[in-house]
Amino acid sequence: MALSLSPSLLGGVSVALLASLGFAVQAQSTTPPAAQVQPAPSQPALAEIPALQATAPSLEAPDPSLSPECRVPGSKLYTLAKLKAVKKALREHRAVQVLTIGSSSGGLGTAATYPVRLEDALTRSLPDIEVTVESRGVSGEIAFGAAERLRNQVAEIEPDLVVWQVGGNDALARVDIEDFSQSLAETVAWIKSHGIDVVLVDPQYTASLAKDDYYRQFVLAIQKVAEREQVPLVQRYEAMRYLATRAISALKGNASQSGAGFRLADLGYRCMAEHVTRAITVSLLQPDIAGPALPPPAH
Amino acid sequence: MREPNAVDFWRGIALITIFINHIPGNFFQNYTYSQYGISDAAELFVFLAGWSIGIATRGRDGTPEPALRTVLRLLSRMVEVYRAQLVITALALAMLAGAALYLDNPLLVEWHNAGPIFSDPIQATVGWVTLLHQLGFFNILPLYVVLLGLAPAFVLLARVHLGLSVGISVLLYAVSLVFEFNIPSWPMEGHWFFNPFCWQLLLVLGFAAHEWRRGSGRFLAWRRRLMPLGIVIVIVGAVLSWFNLRPDPLAVPEPRLLFIFDKSYLSPARLVHFLGVLLAFQTVFGLVQPRARWLTEQLAGLGRNSLAVFSVGSVASLGAQLIRFWTGGGFATDVFVVGCGLASLSFTAWFVEWRSRSPRPSSAA
Repeated sequence: MALSLSPSLLGGVSVALLASLGFAVQAQSTTPPAAQVQPAPSQPALAEIPALQATAPSLEAPDPSLSPECRVPGSKLYTLAKLKAVKKALREHRAVQVLTIGSSSGGLGTAATYPVRLEDALTRSLPDIEVTVESRGVSGEIAFGAAERLRNQVAEIEPDLVVWQVGGNDALARVDIEDFSQSLAETVAWIKSHGIDVVLVDPQYTASLAKDDYYRQFVLAIQKVAEREQVPLVQRYEAMRYLATRAISALKGNASQSGAGFRLADLGYRCMAEHVTRAITVSLLQPDIAGPALPPPAH
Repeated sequence: MREPNAVDFWRGIALITIFINHIPGNFFQNYTYSQYGISDAAELFVFLAGWSIGIATRGRDGTPEPALRTVLRLLSRMVEVYRAQLVITALALAMLAGAALYLDNPLLVEWHNAGPIFSDPIQATVGWVTLLHQLGFFNILPLYVVLLGLAPAFVLLARVHLGLSVGISVLLYAVSLVFEFNIPSWPMEGHWFFNPFCWQLLLVLGFAAHEWRRGSGRFLAWRRRLMPLGIVIVIVGAVLSWFNLRPDPLAVPEPRLLFIFDKSYLSPARLVHFLGVLLAFQTVFGLVQPRARWLTEQLAGLGRNSLAVFSVGSVASLGAQLIRFWTGGGFATDVFVVGCGLASLSFTAWFVEWRSRSPRPSSAA
């Protein structure tokens, strides 16, 4: 199960409080033998990763660390899991290599592409660590050969972290959801089995697909795989749906409805680097202590 | 028009297979031979292109045509293929954009790597016109353009010594595999889906097979003798494919491309499997032709007009994908889109031949 932080635990608390509370919940729920009980950290849980510039946000209020146009509550933006390989690289003060899979669009007319923006955003969040981002597009469907090509791309780059915008081509091709899920789960498990972290990014939201059952099932299938394989998920669909009701409403009135979907898609790309960075940094705040997963946030 | 022959017949099968496989998720995809082996129709298409070059660069009496004529012939074909690639890419972009507007769905302009052309048009326009940016499923013709650019060198070398031509081709293949040498894509990072420096080997092997076949009876004798080996390779390929068994690309030794199954670099396993397919199925045309004349004529008709049929097939497969998306797919939709697609391929082959038979209208407009 993907670890997620419950709203009651995280109502605007600091990193230190998060770590203490996380530990306390675990101690209460599992009551481990005395020998396994470790002292509560006297300083922030990530003291061993001094480079990380992040604090845990409130899950229900729009995350103030995001730029105003991209501001989404954590509960709509991500489900969390541990990123062991990246954390290890940070501890060892080693450069972190990231491979992004999928579109590299940073939004219409923007100066920088998504991989460049992601590299900048991660470098700001991890100022003492060198972060390099390579990107690859994926041609074809995960259920029909693209997963194999993705494995070869991962082997070519050997990154610490793969950030994978997954499912777009498969959803448009209306492939069998079961076949897709299985192929995705196998590929994620394979990447993890080689000590490489994975962050999944689910497909975009657009109003014309809001009532498409297949598409909603498809997005749900990705969430289930992320949960089962314990990898963080950037809930682009949920985040964009949230932005559609908030950010876009400001634009209504002076533009036709039919263009709204395209503006939202553009906003989605503009925000993606920030959203992915936020999911990565908050996932890095996950305590190392193994224990029962916290319940996922309510959607 | 020439009578049906094995090359046109197999090229027709390759064209239909590529058309069906380019509609991912459709019902009929499960029944193309690509699902039962580790190589697919792309290998067949490129190999037969090499064989055709062998035919085209000799006169009717079998004597090689003058060198300059060969060079001009191949380069003019290259321009023709390049032109076809530009036309079908432009059509595909307009179809994706049109569908996105009509269905109010911005996801469609992102499909098949089309995104940068709309979000970053200044760089991506240069990219797609120079073939450095390729849409998904629209990447075979760029390979073919480069192969036709390289072909004159191999054909003329073969006139000095066929072994020299094949040797240099194998060397280029091996160097590209070991050093992972490929043409980069741009503006997106990455490289070409089909690495021409690897895939040229199949073109040269196709050309060389034609030359060997002309030159000696020993080639035919060996081809027959090796048929059982081909059948074994096909069975092994089917088992590997059926059980999804393949080497782990992060667990194989260096140079890893020698050991994995990789389409971009035509890894040795795919090459061996394809040669096995050739050996195993070498007698099929002879068996099918007398029993199913209409079928062989149809397939050979597609093969004779492969560039036009491939181009229409590429656009039709994208159209089929858009219809599947719009309607939600399903068996009836698949029967409809694949049926219409096959009919349009057949019509294209007929139309091209009709046009070449008919007197052309005056071009003085």
